[in-house]
Amino acid sequence: MEAPRAAAGAVEARKTYGAGDAVVHALDGVTVAFPAGRFTAIMGPSGSGKSTLMQCVAGLDRLTSGHAYVGETYLTNLNKTQLALLRRDRLGFIFQQYNLIPTLTAKENILLPLTLAGRSPDPEWFASIVRTVGLGDRLANRPGQLSGGQQQRVAVARALVSRPEIVFADEPTGALDSRTGSEILGFMRSMVDEAGQTIVMVTHDPHAASYADAVLFLADGRIIDEMPDPTVERVLDRMKRFEA
Amino acid sequence: MFRLGLRGVRFNLGRYVATLVAIVTGVAFFAASGFLGARVVSALEGDIDRQFGAVDAAVIADARGDDDAAGDLRIGAAAYARLAALPQTAGIGGELAAGVSFLGADGRVFASRATGRLWIADDALNPVDVAAGAAPAAAGEIAVDRGLAAEHRLAVGDAVTVLTAAGKRAATITGLTRFGDSDGQDLNGTVSIPAAAAFEWLNRGREEYSSVLLRARGSAADLVAAVEPVVPAGFRVQSGEDLRAERRADAAGFGRFLTLALQAFSSLALVVGGFVIYNTFNVIVAQRTRELAVLAAIGATPKQLSRALRSEALVIGLVGSVLGVASGFGLTFGLMAVLSQLGIDLPGAGIRVAPGTVVVSMLFGTLITLVSASLPARRAGRAEPLEALRQADAGVVTVGKARTVLASVLAGAGVVAMLVGPSAAVVGAGALVLFLGVVGLGPVLAVGGGRVLRPVLRVFGLEGALAADNTARNPQRTATTANALLIGVFLVTFVTVAGTSAKDFILDEINALSTADFTITSDGGVIDAPLVADLQAVDGVVRVTPFRRETVALTVDGTTRGSTSLSAGDLASLREAAGLDLVAGSYEDLGPGTVVLLQTQLTDGGGVGSTAVVTDAAGRSASLRVVGVVGVSLDAMATGAVVTDATLDDLVGATPPTVAFVTTEPGAQTKAGEAIKAVTDLRPDLSLQAGNFVGRLIGAIFDFLIAAVNGLLLMSVVIALIGIVNTLTLSILERRRELGLLRVVGMVDRRVRRMVRIESVVIATLGTVCGLLLGTFCGFALVTAIGRLSGAGISVSLPVGLLGGILGLGVAMGALASLIPAYRSTRLAVLDALRTT
Repeated sequence: MEAPRAAAGAVEARKTYGAGDAVVHALDGVTVAFPAGRFTAIMGPSGSGKSTLMQCVAGLDRLTSGHAYVGETYLTNLNKTQLALLRRDRLGFIFQQYNLIPTLTAKENILLPLTLAGRSPDPEWFASIVRTVGLGDRLANRPGQLSGGQQQRVAVARALVSRPEIVFADEPTGALDSRTGSEILGFMRSMVDEAGQTIVMVTHDPHAASYADAVLFLADGRIIDEMPDPTVERVLDRMKRFEA
Repeated sequence: MFRLGLRGVRFNLGRYVATLVAIVTGVAFFAASGFLGARVVSALEGDIDRQFGAVDAAVIADARGDDDAAGDLRIGAAAYARLAALPQTAGIGGELAAGVSFLGADGRVFASRATGRLWIADDALNPVDVAAGAAPAAAGEIAVDRGLAAEHRLAVGDAVTVLTAAGKRAATITGLTRFGDSDGQDLNGTVSIPAAAAFEWLNRGREEYSSVLLRARGSAADLVAAVEPVVPAGFRVQSGEDLRAERRADAAGFGRFLTLALQAFSSLALVVGGFVIYNTFNVIVAQRTRELAVLAAIGATPKQLSRALRSEALVIGLVGSVLGVASGFGLTFGLMAVLSQLGIDLPGAGIRVAPGTVVVSMLFGTLITLVSASLPARRAGRAEPLEALRQADAGVVTVGKARTVLASVLAGAGVVAMLVGPSAAVVGAGALVLFLGVVGLGPVLAVGGGRVLRPVLRVFGLEGALAADNTARNPQRTATTANALLIGVFLVTFVTVAGTSAKDFILDEINALSTADFTITSDGGVIDAPLVADLQAVDGVVRVTPFRRETVALTVDGTTRGSTSLSAGDLASLREAAGLDLVAGSYEDLGPGTVVLLQTQLTDGGGVGSTAVVTDAAGRSASLRVVGVVGVSLDAMATGAVVTDATLDDLVGATPPTVAFVTTEPGAQTKAGEAIKAVTDLRPDLSLQAGNFVGRLIGAIFDFLIAAVNGLLLMSVVIALIGIVNTLTLSILERRRELGLLRVVGMVDRRVRRMVRIESVVIATLGTVCGLLLGTFCGFALVTAIGRLSGAGISVSLPVGLLGGILGLGVAMGALASLIPAYRSTRLAVLDALRTT
């Protein structure tokens, strides 16, 4: 089997905070490629740089040196507006805090990326997403009237509605109970299997990581290990070794 | 993005209330003054065109004089007869007016500011029409206008007592009149008196006219040409068109002035409202940081983000303006009520909804909202997408060095420019730059303030120290909150300091111009011995100085100077009562054939030794040598040129005095003024002016301006209060876990709440103190700069009490603002607080 094409990645990525003695290397020369059509999880202890890596590749933050890219596009040369357009047209986001707009209905929240782009939704695609995440009768409700699980389903639907090249998820199940969390992870898995969606997820939860095709382990701003086809037990074992 | 904006407005209505109030108030005032002005202008203009429509030519005073007596010049009977006898004249009517009033059966004076007018017999020329009854014809018959009749329940056939310059006269009302669509030709009522009585009642028995209206036999141009050679000195002829245009402008001038004055105030209200709007939008952007960050993260461009905010502003601005115009209708009636309380009854009926006013009001309101919201909207555009991902833990934010340096440089440059700037523009720019610098330094001030206050607040225990740390923890946010207050306090202080200084300066200057305490002028009557005795008898009156005053046409060294007053009286007491100081020549030389002129009456190069030719209404003239020049003062405006009694006798005969200066004891002016007014009220021909009335008027205007601006600014201070509540609530939400921890390790709730209160007071004090200092400095520097640049001896007046009050108010507001956040800080159970993320 041919090696899958990289959907996004980073080359010699460095990100430092502070200066002089107090300098902190959040990313210390990371080179990584996230394969297209795969579900990649990034794990690591707090402060390992896992969130920073994702944010820089997703065009939410800038590297101190090195390059991040999405498809054929290097993010280093893009200005603020170009980055915003890239995120709007080619990426999708799922946050731990759902981050829905409280004044808009569930349906309007889902369609927001298309509204921003001035595009009209593909009704079939929209219906299939809504069906998949199971929100049929809640579309007219506002976030305040939805449970945490329902809000996260809206967020997942929003991330998928524009058929993005990559979906970035930052602790998507962190605020959910384990049953609802498993459902959300199930949707994500099925999007990869059935629609060939590329997903990059940051998590510290071994259960969540077990849904991925591969897990990258970060510590002190470097990639220290990679595990294909993870299971909960193997991830736990690997994490125990961090403490050793 | 517009839909998002619309939605934003709908779901943030509570937050927008302050903005709406500001816009509605400003627009309502603006629209109301427009409606009112349009009504007055159109009523006055329309009537003029109709009522003077038949006039083909008019002979009017050549009002190029410099003094307040211009227009008192009269056309004598001989000149009138010459005009009537012209073959081109088809009809003629003279105008003559003076104050009259009525004495009721109960001995009370009513309609005390009505105007008595000579009834013009030529129907076409007479601007007044008979609405009921018949025109007055014989002596003892009068007609009154419908407004007067309605107001004082007068009817055709009523016997009344009319107070005139000649004394009490019994009269019968034969008719009611109207002036076009209005009731009276004059603001306070018109009383028409037939020629048989008018000259005696209104003009000391002399047959004279203030102006003459003519109808042409043949072409109007021929009439004007024929009149030209027989126009008396000090008068000129004009066509009917010009007369109408001039009277229209005169009449409407009042309406236009009213509109302008009111709209100046309402524009100010709108501009100050702009600050309120700016503050509200700033708070709204700060509160919605997370929401904006989410939009940014999923791909909203900076442009789209600010457009969303701007469309909210557009919606709010439009809604506020529509509501404002609607409220403007109601307010128009309110304004009319207020004006009539002040004694100004406006002509016209109903409200004229001028489409121009509606459109301009709406545009103005919407535009101000959009402009005020544009800076906050740009801030919204800069929202960082990472904010959306950040966990809700409040870290410590540091202040950028570059920003500190830049802001310090700006502030320093501003101070220097204000202190030594070589022109008004530089000083003004300096104020702006200094202001920007201080606002930019906000975070540094927040950190510094926190550090300075920490040892002081330590006396409150741990919570005091923690509160000081908290203000320095997110200095940017502390600064934004404090800045809202700073701007309000700065403007209040600035306006107060600069306004008070300017007022004091102008009052000093004006008071120096006038030394007579009161001036009494008789319009058509005389200041006789019994009146002087009555005035002398008033408690507090030191001296009454009557003098004779005539209006003459003046020519100096061959150049026409229009009409002027020519006064004569007891020179010694005149000079004692009034400020008639000479800038050249000497009163010693004043004798037969000589005159003392006002500085403003001289021609270029003229002075002592010039020749002045004066001509009176009857055409008698005298050539006088100038022996002295009086400097500019209010008193000199009242006397005009001064001659000896003998010189005046030679010119006009032995006329009685018609003007008097009244000097009162120091400090007795107000009390004596009331008693003097009681005396003069019995004589409708007398008008009373306080010598420093201009000063008092200007003082009152300044006080009103300062109070009005401050009242509006207080609104923005209240908005700042809401800002503090918001910021504290936000930071408490963020620090829930931290607060929970403090409570777990043993800080009792009372102390937690106290910590929040202290933090609030610290923020409020920071904003207030900085605003006070900045405002005082700018006021001080501006006043000093005015003094330095103009050479005027203006000094700074510091209203210390008021400034102290503002400081107290600021601190109290801080305490008030902390009530809700302090309550919320301990509302959550300790364990829940720890569990929340």
